[in-house]
Formats: sequence, C-alpha cells, structure tokens
Amino acid sequence: MKLNKKLLAAVTSALLIANVAAEPKDDGLSANFYKSMKGKTVGFVPISMGFDLTQGWLAGMQRQATELGYKIVVRDPNWNVETGAQALNQLIGEKPDILIFHPLDMQAYSRLVKKANDAGIAVISLNLKSVNNGDAYVGTDWYDMGLKQGEAIGKLCGGPGKSGKVAIIQGVVTTPGSIFSLVGIDDSLKKFSTVKVVANQAADWDASKARTIASTLLKQHEDLCGIIDLWDGQGVGTAAAISEAGKTGKVHLVTAGGGNRKPACENVANGSFSTYISYDVPGQVRDLNNVIKMYLQAKPTPAGGKPFALYTPLKVLTKESLRPDSCWTVDEITKTGGYGG
Amino acid sequence: MSVSNFYTRWRYRLIPDHVVGEILAKPWIDNSIPALVLVSVLAFFYVVTPNFYTPGNLNDLGRVLGEYLFVGLGMTIVMLAGGIDLSVGAIFALCNFISLLLVHKLGIPVVLAIPIVILVGATVGLINGLLIGYLRLRAFLTTLVVLIILRALVDMLLLKYAGTLSSGAAVSGAAVWDFMGDGTALGVPSSLLIALFVAAAGHVFITRMRLGWHILSVGGSRRAAFNAGIPVRRIVCLTYVMSGALAAAAAIFFASRLGSASAETGVGLEFVVLTAAVLGGVSLGGGRGSVMKALLGTVIVISVTNGLIRLGMPSGASVLVLGVTMLLAVIVDVRWNKNRAKILTRAYVSPTYFDLPPSPSTERNSTSPYALNDKLRGVDAIGLGEVEGPEDMVLDADDNLFCGSRLGDVIRFFGPDHKKWEVYAHIGGHPLGMAIDAEGSVVTCVAGMGLYKVTRQREVIKLSGHTNRTLFSVIDDSRLRLADDLDIAPDGRVFFSEATIRYENSEWMIDALESRGNGRIICYDPRTGTSRTVIPNLVFPNGVCMAMDGESFFFAETWACSISRYWFDGPKKGQLEVVIDNLPGYPDNINLSSDGHFWCALVGMRSPVFDLALKTPQFRRRMVYRVAPDSWLYPNMNTGCVIKFDINGKILESLWDLGGESHPQVTSIREHKGYLYLGGVFNNRIGRYRIPGADPNWTGLAAYWGKSK
Repeated sequence: MKLNKKLLAAVTSALLIANVAAEPKDDGLSANFYKSMKGKTVGFVPISMGFDLTQGWLAGMQRQATELGYKIVVRDPNWNVETGAQALNQLIGEKPDILIFHPLDMQAYSRLVKKANDAGIAVISLNLKSVNNGDAYVGTDWYDMGLKQGEAIGKLCGGPGKSGKVAIIQGVVTTPGSIFSLVGIDDSLKKFSTVKVVANQAADWDASKARTIASTLLKQHEDLCGIIDLWDGQGVGTAAAISEAGKTGKVHLVTAGGGNRKPACENVANGSFSTYISYDVPGQVRDLNNVIKMYLQAKPTPAGGKPFALYTPLKVLTKESLRPDSCWTVDEITKTGGYGG
Repeated sequence: MSVSNFYTRWRYRLIPDHVVGEILAKPWIDNSIPALVLVSVLAFFYVVTPNFYTPGNLNDLGRVLGEYLFVGLGMTIVMLAGGIDLSVGAIFALCNFISLLLVHKLGIPVVLAIPIVILVGATVGLINGLLIGYLRLRAFLTTLVVLIILRALVDMLLLKYAGTLSSGAAVSGAAVWDFMGDGTALGVPSSLLIALFVAAAGHVFITRMRLGWHILSVGGSRRAAFNAGIPVRRIVCLTYVMSGALAAAAAIFFASRLGSASAETGVGLEFVVLTAAVLGGVSLGGGRGSVMKALLGTVIVISVTNGLIRLGMPSGASVLVLGVTMLLAVIVDVRWNKNRAKILTRAYVSPTYFDLPPSPSTERNSTSPYALNDKLRGVDAIGLGEVEGPEDMVLDADDNLFCGSRLGDVIRFFGPDHKKWEVYAHIGGHPLGMAIDAEGSVVTCVAGMGLYKVTRQREVIKLSGHTNRTLFSVIDDSRLRLADDLDIAPDGRVFFSEATIRYENSEWMIDALESRGNGRIICYDPRTGTSRTVIPNLVFPNGVCMAMDGESFFFAETWACSISRYWFDGPKKGQLEVVIDNLPGYPDNINLSSDGHFWCALVGMRSPVFDLALKTPQFRRRMVYRVAPDSWLYPNMNTGCVIKFDINGKILESLWDLGGESHPQVTSIREHKGYLYLGGVFNNRIGRYRIPGADPNWTGLAAYWGKSK
C-alpha cells in the first residue's frame, strides 16, 4: 500500500513535469510571436483615467498584456495637458517599446510624438490624434463623426413643422474631437437648408458645464429643436437639463461616445438621447491590441516613417436600431478582452 | 570630585550644546526646513522611482520648473508685500492664448510678441494693483474675481479661435520660439536658465534695492511703512504688476513648449504656486520670505507632482497630496512664526558645568578682609537723578569727570565741583569702560558697537568694530557685541574685554546662567588699526587694568569670581596667571589706587544657591525651558562692594554700603585726588567717597602716563 502511494506520487510528478516541459508546436511564426511579446513594455498616457473610455481601453489592453506577458505602464495626467506632457516625457525617458497616447489637445504633444519617434519608440494615438501622426492612429474619424451627427440632427429637425433651430455643445475646443466634428456637422447640415445652428458653446468635456449651458440655451431658444452634444460624458448633463425643462423627446439630443451601456444604450432606450453615434470601444480595443501585437513583433523602421490609421466603424444607435449587444461594460471587456462571447 | 560631577564636567566640556541655539539663531535657518523636506522628497523618489534622476527627466523637470519659477517669483513678491494673487493661473492662460494667437496665427515675429504678451500680463496685474493698492479692496476676493473674469474671457476667445490655433503649424519657423520651447543652453533648459537669471535679479532686487526693501517693509507692517513715508499704495500696486508680468513670461515659455491653447491651461496654477511659496517659507502674512525660499518650495512641489505622475497614481491623488502638503506647510508656517522667538530664547541659553570653591566669609566684625561694613553709606552723590547708568567714569587733568549714559552719550561733569554737566559727545550706544589716553582723548567701550575714541575736540572716532573671526565658530564672532572695559598699554595698544559673544548688552545677565567661557580679551593696535583676539574663552571678562610694569595687565572674570594677570610683553610674554581665584562676589572694573595697589568693584555677591546651580547645568536648562524668564534664578546683583588688592592678589580692605541706599551695586571705581568715585550700570548717580589718608594730589592719569612718558 505504502509502495503504491509512492509509485503513484512518482508517476504523477513525472507526468506533471512532462506536461510543463511540453514545447508548444511552432508553426513557423508562433514561437517568434510569443517570444517577442514577453517582457515588453507598453506605455499609456490617456487624458485621464477614471471614466468609461479609458477604463474600457485599459481593461482590454491589460487582458491581452497579461495573456501574452508584456507590461502596461499607465500615467494619469488627470485632464491636465501640462501634466500629460510631463508623463509622456518620463515615459519617453523610460523607453517603452510602444507609447500609446490619448491627447486632450491636438497641438500640445506634437513635439513629444516626434521626440518619442526619434527615440525609436512606436507611437500609437488613440481616438484623438495630435498634429504629428506618429506611427498609427486607432480611433474615430472625427470628420465622419461630424457628418453622421449632422445627418442625424438634420433628419430630426429638418422636416416640415420643425423650427430647425439647432445648438451645438462642443467639448474641449482644441481636440480633434471638436475641431473636425464641427467641420463635419457644418458640411452635412448644408444638405438641410431649413436647419440653422443658433448656438455653439464649449463644455470642456464636463457634464455639469454642459448642463448649465443647455439649460441656458433652452431658455434662450424656446423653440429649440435639437442639440448636438459631442460626447455622452457631457451629454448626460445636457440630457438632464432637457429633462429638467420638461422637454425630453421634444428637444432632440444627438450625441456620441464609446457606447458604454449605462450612458449610451440606457439613455437611448429611455429617450434621453435621440441618436447616439458609438465608436464602439470593444472594437477599438481589438484594433489597438492588434497594432500592439504588430509593433511588438516588428518595430516600424524608422519610427514614424509610415503612419497609418485604423478608423473605427461607427454605429448609429437609435431606439429602433438598439440591440442587446449594441453596448458594453468595463466588466465585459475585462472578461472577454473585447472579443465578445 | 564625585563620579557624577566628573561625568557632568566632561560631558559639558566635550559636547558643544550652545551650537544648537547658535544655529537656530541664524537667519538662514528658516530655509533649513524646506531644504530638509526637499532632500527627503528627492531621496524618497530616488528610492521609489528608479529613473527619476536620468538626465532626460531632469531636463524635462527643469523646463517645467523654469515656468513655475516665474509664476512663483511673482507670487512671492506679492506675498512679501502682504498680498495674495489668485489670478496668476488665469493671467497665464490668457497670455498663453495671446502668445499662440500672435505667433502661430498672426505670424508676428517672436521678439515682438514677447514684449506684447508681457505687457498684457502686466496690464492685468495693473488692474489687480489699482483695485487692491489704490481702492484698497481685499486681495483674496479681488484676484479671485479677476480670475473668474479672465477665465471666462479665455473661454470665449478659445471658442472663437481655438480651431484655427490648433490646426496651425506645429512649430513656427522662428528659431527663438524653438529655443524657448525645446532648447537648452549649457545643458540647462531655456526656461530654467532664464528663470534662474530672473530669480538672481529678483534676489538682488528684494535684498539690495530700495523698492525691494519697501516691499518687505509694507508686508512687515503696513502702518509702520506708511508712517515712514513709504508710498504703500503704489508699492502694493506694483507688486501685482510684477506678478502679472512674470506670469506672462511663464506663459510664453509654456506656449512655445506645448503650443496648446486648451481651456485647462493654468487651471489650479495659483494653488500649486501658492503651495510652493508657503512650503518654501514665504509667510502668508507678508514681510518674510526670499527668492531662495520660493525656489526651494517650487523645486519641492515640482518634484512631488512629477514623482507622483511617475508613480502612476490614480486621478486626483496628486492633487490630494498637494493639498495635504499645503495644509502642513501652512500649519508649520503659522506655528513656526508664532513660536520661533520663544523657542529660540529657550534653546539658545545653554548652561554648562562650573564649579566654584566655597565662598570666603564676609561676616561683620570678623577678621576676614571682606568683613561687612558701612563705609559707603552716605557718600556724596554727583548728578543724582541726572545720569543714567554710569558704568564707568574717568577724570582728566582738569578734574573734569566723564561718564557714560544709557542714552548713548558721554557726559562731562565740570571740575572741580562736578555740579554742572553737559553731553560731551553722542556715540549712540551705551559707553561702558573708559580710559584716557596719552593725548587726553577719552577711549571707551561702547556696548553693541565696539571701541570708540572721543578726542579733546569732541570728535568721535571708531577705533574698532570687529576682530578676527574664530575658525569654526557658528556665531559671527568677528563683530563686537559687548565690549566692556579697557586699559591702554604704554605703547598705545588698547587691551579691552568683550564680556560675551553670545548676548547683547540688554541680556548680559543671562550669560551668567551659562557661565561658559563666552568672552575674550582683544587687543587693538593703533599702529595697524586692527584688532586681534588675544585671550579667548574667558568667563565674562570685565575690568582691565594695567599692572604698572608696562608688560602686564589684570583682568576680572565676573562669573568665575576671579582676577588674572596676563603678560603681553617682556620675558613672561603670553603667560596667564590667576591672581585671585575665589572672590565672595562678582568682580567688575579694576583701577589703580594711590598707594600702588588696585581697586576692584564687586558688582554683586555670590549666594550658595546660585553656586550650587552652577554645578547642575541640567537644572538650569530645565529652569530655562519651564519657567518664565522673569522668574529665572540669576546671580545676586543687589549687594556689592569695593575691594582693594595688591599686586600679588592679597585682599587689603573692602568698602560696603549695607543698606544699599546709595550704592547697592558698584560696577566701577576711580580714585582721584583723595576721593574714590563710584559708578553703577543701573545707578542714577556717581558716588564720591573720601578715602581716609589718601594722597590728595594723586591722580591716576599722572600716575600712569606721567610715569611712563
């Protein structure tokens, strides 16, 4: 009996060792793929942590990083351009393999993108880009976003019997998210001759600011037909102002965002948002993770030499088009890494 | 000697406790707290974040530091004048926007844009200044309102122009612009280099120039500054103009570096800069602070924020840390300001071990030479109620009597009756010991000032204000604090005592609590016009008197209750010999007597309690810490006497005033034509005692100078 036990233990451990030591089969690329991921570093400087977009992106990136054995270093500038510049500078000094940044301001990090490229670091801009392109852009085509928002408000307010009065609430005025969207909105509204932009204000990506602006707008323009709010993060403030004025459903609110379930789908479902253009964070995570895998296997040479863009396919969500999987939560991304199921 | 006495003695001999207080008394000690904080911050980040000290990071840090330093300097200047400028962040944002507008959009040459932007900043500062300085609105509210208005203005401008600014050329062509934003000179980032240059200029401005002094005095006491004729309103106004201009300068560097017109620019900057200034030790109450302090504080704040970013702290954490830091700094600022003087007086007093042998008897009718008597009772009074604190007096060949006065004068009583008097010369400090030199000039030791001479033409000449500085002394002991008594050698050299280097004239009795060798004998040589310390570390050296041999003098050490003789010439040159080692009281001035001996005044008598206290320095230290200064145990200064001793130190007689009505305390004596004149540093008269049997024609002047010439 005793002998049996010992024998069993020996066999078990032998099996275990054999199991651990088993080499994964190389298909010609896979061995190199896994090897090139191990021990690498990816730096990430968002506008700020602590809101749905950046949390979603990080959750997706972190999941892949853990799986493949590379490290993600996050520096949080907390909505401050100057702090962000310091954070980027620090990271460039630490020489990560890839630097992902998400700038609050189009101009501010231009020089730093070049500096990172000069230091041989691959630079990915995420959803907002800088003047300098870096190596890759993963995110929204903001001009297209503007076209779609203009189209949506045009359809809602351009018809007969509508006042055609539309207001725009921008975010931080110096981001591509505001700059190019505005041009897109302008261009698409040309098709709707009855629609007139009566106000254009900036809420700096701040919900409470948006709420103040919206409630003033609603008082100034009694017959306001619709509002375009460039981001759902501040759009919830605008929606609150509309609902306070008792005009939910009467004043159309077109907004955009990453498609997080609570602000996006729930507000579309309850009618707070008339149309919601989603740039689908899980989709962006997938694109982003792919670019990361690509650059970890082969660095762009020279860094910054051949920039390319992966524009996110935009989803237009309305009450009618809403489906159970139209939106996401950070938890889901943590579990699935943005690959669904 | 018991073991514990032995231990105490060596412990106090070997450990220089007094250095602690001396260091605390240094003006730069205010900077030591922030300096210490800075060192620990840097050490902390060195340990926690491995790449903190890479040249690249230091370079980036320096660039940011330069920008903040500009704003910090402005804030410091405003705070020095007692104000506060919350609008710096908004001025910064406005000027950043205008810089970008001018350079990126309008293509105005950078060299032209810079002065325009600074002018804009200064103009906003001027609005602040006019409201606060001339209309006397509250600085806090006014600058807060200006902040809000400017922010709104920037928001409106941004809404209109931001799109065009942000999509403009990333880097304009001008090389200057590139240098400002990204360049280095001598390895130092441009903004830091120029900020340091401005800081150095600011330091000179604040510490060396009239306007800077005016700013400090307005902040120190607005009312006093006004009464002194300083244009308070204009000064206050100017500080805001400077602050605005400096914030603008910072904004130009920021604009050239990031080219960002974002609405977040400069948000919370006032808070960061204020934290830096207070952390550096610039007082919120005004009047206290320096460029160095602003620099220290800024470096700390920038290091902390940069380090926190590096640590990857979550959103808000660094603001929280900064807030807590600010709170701590304000607490330290308030508490330190309030308690500094109190701590200093207590920590400064540093008693040491001193062992006196049992005091000789002074019992009445005994055979002791110190036996109590009443010989000084009812002596004549000169200038009763008219003189204040004649510590010493001296008589010239025409019997005129000179004495010092607390009011800073040398008084002359006209001989021979000494009824009429006049101010002979005004020196400005309290003249203590006096002597007349070969030319008939009055040479005197002036408390707090040094050695002075008043010629017969009444011209006041400073002979010496300082001596050589001791190596490794923390106190600057080259300055004369308490020159006390002097005598003049036949060759004209003046030997004078400095009672203590640690206390001013008003605190001389505190030196008794220490009973350390804090004093010294200094020699002033008229041939070179310089002074050198000849005997250091004496226990309150006081009276000095030539021994009539042309090569030695006697001097008294007050708290040591001893009289010594020192040879400055001749075969025994350099030797020091204790002549009397155990007086029953505290010896003060020594002077010649007509019978070839020496008079000495005992300023106070010893008491067993204080003698015992001298052996227990711990007790005195506890007393200083726990008891109010007016309840401290001091040596007895209420009863004194005059003694006569011969050249070998034998006590010949003593003169007392037991009731203490005329001369309870005698600090000096001078024999002249059969009379003994008595002075007291706290007395309101000069006493005149008829010496029985003394030579009525003898004068000290003739005896000394007549003999040697």
